[in-house]
Amino acid sequence: MSTFAIETHALTRCFGHRLAVNSVSMSVPEKAVYGFLGRNGAGKTTTLKMLLGLIRPTSGAALVRGIDVTRRRVDAARNVGSLLEAHGFYVNLTGRENLHLTRTLLDVRASEVDRVLEVVEMTDDAGRRVSDYSLGMRQRLGLARAMLGAPPVLALDEPTNGLDPDGIADMRRFLKALPDRTGATVLLSSHLLGEIENTATHIGILSGGCLVLEGELSRLKGDLSPEIAIRVDDPLRARSILRSFDLTVSEVEPNASLIATLRPGYDADRASADLNRALVDAGLSVFEISPRARSLEGIYREVSGVNAEVHTREAMEIA
Amino acid sequence: MLAALKVEGLKLNRSLASVLAVAAPTLIAIFVFFNMLRGDEPQAWTMWLQTSVGIWAFFMLPMSVTALTALVAHMEHGPRAWDHLRALPVRRWKIYAAKAVWVILIVAAMSFLNLALTFAAVSTAAAIKPALAPTGPLDLAGQAAMMGRVVLAGLLLTAIQLWTALRFTSFVPALALGIGGTFFSVVATAAKQGVFFPWQMPVNMLATEPWRVHTALSLGGGVGLIVMVVAIAHLSRREFL
Repeated sequence: MSTFAIETHALTRCFGHRLAVNSVSMSVPEKAVYGFLGRNGAGKTTTLKMLLGLIRPTSGAALVRGIDVTRRRVDAARNVGSLLEAHGFYVNLTGRENLHLTRTLLDVRASEVDRVLEVVEMTDDAGRRVSDYSLGMRQRLGLARAMLGAPPVLALDEPTNGLDPDGIADMRRFLKALPDRTGATVLLSSHLLGEIENTATHIGILSGGCLVLEGELSRLKGDLSPEIAIRVDDPLRARSILRSFDLTVSEVEPNASLIATLRPGYDADRASADLNRALVDAGLSVFEISPRARSLEGIYREVSGVNAEVHTREAMEIA
Repeated sequence: MLAALKVEGLKLNRSLASVLAVAAPTLIAIFVFFNMLRGDEPQAWTMWLQTSVGIWAFFMLPMSVTALTALVAHMEHGPRAWDHLRALPVRRWKIYAAKAVWVILIVAAMSFLNLALTFAAVSTAAAIKPALAPTGPLDLAGQAAMMGRVVLAGLLLTAIQLWTALRFTSFVPALALGIGGTFFSVVATAAKQGVFFPWQMPVNMLATEPWRVHTALSLGGGVGLIVMVVAIAHLSRREFL
């Protein structure tokens, strides 16, 4: 048995002359919440569809718990529950009836329907027609359907799409706790940095069809250069003072803050104290000096190029 | 396969398929009822039953198949359920085959319901106007056998309509095909070449020349079965982008 819940090897898919997914080799560890990140059109959904056996790769392989999806689709599919962008609910049927249809096809026990409804806290609404459900309720019902039969891997495509802020917060909490509650590995596809940052233990960033970064989120953040935000009464003088330190002043923000970027591994607290002392000794008024927590946005910007910046900000705002 | 059949049955049970299944044969029975009441002379049972089978075979059967296959396909196209269905650990051909089986079963049920309702309509009209009571022997078994051949000969058009309805997300290609096929079936009912035209194969079961009956039955039933199998295989294998 493979140590990874999901693996792809040089997975490639072309649509005509367009290369949608370009030699993607990803590894999703067991019981991880793997954030699959990328802008719209980066190739996330195409990769997900290949993992689910919905489309065939042009070349390369996709494996779910060591099972080749192209060669043994049905066996691989037994290990995956999925929530796709198009829910595919029969809106004239109730939530419970929709789950019953999938349960029948999966040939799992009838009690599974009650179990998954309880997990997503939908038991009270299960008797209502899906046409009367809000988008958030449909997302939760989709999640319940994905969990029927307790598959060890869950592939979720944009699960917070269309949810209100409370719904997004609930979904994040739910997804984060899922590996502990059910033992499942979660592959979470999203273009929202905030969603991934608050939920994922591992990330993979897709850009232009290529996997440009993959790894454990905490380790990737730790590898980043520390930053210190500084707000003073005279930013121009401060810049000249900071030049004597082993750092770069990279940015002046709209509120006249300076951002000092240290070398990777440098102690940000100690540097803050040194910088503060130097600025005060030079007679400047220091309003604020604080190490900045490194965010996924920084990682994303570094690996996705300049054009990604605008998109990232938009995504963060939406999140 | 049983699970797929059960699921399709549950979905159809909550759709408007039953309304369609009853409405189409009832319309023919209503027509026969009033047509009989406006007559002056009694007619033979065979004439009334064959009239009903004829109308069913050349017009109402192709139209019903068009509507039914569009409905069956749209149950998945409408809510965009294909990705969910096709991602499940179920052999895809079973999903499509279950749909085909239900369509054939419903068409067969509608056909025999047509016969039963026509019998009821003629009996009711005769009770209202006893002078018009049908004459001659009532060969229900023979008419049922003829209807069975009509359903079998309609298998090719059913396969073509079902493939078109499932292949295209929009219902327009399937409807255009069905309306077009039925149109030529109606305006060229007597055409000799009609025996090779899928939409006219059912009505050729009423032909007096045996070669026409045999040819239409072999093509409609035999080739129809092959086309249905090929259609299911194609739909199972194709990517749904």
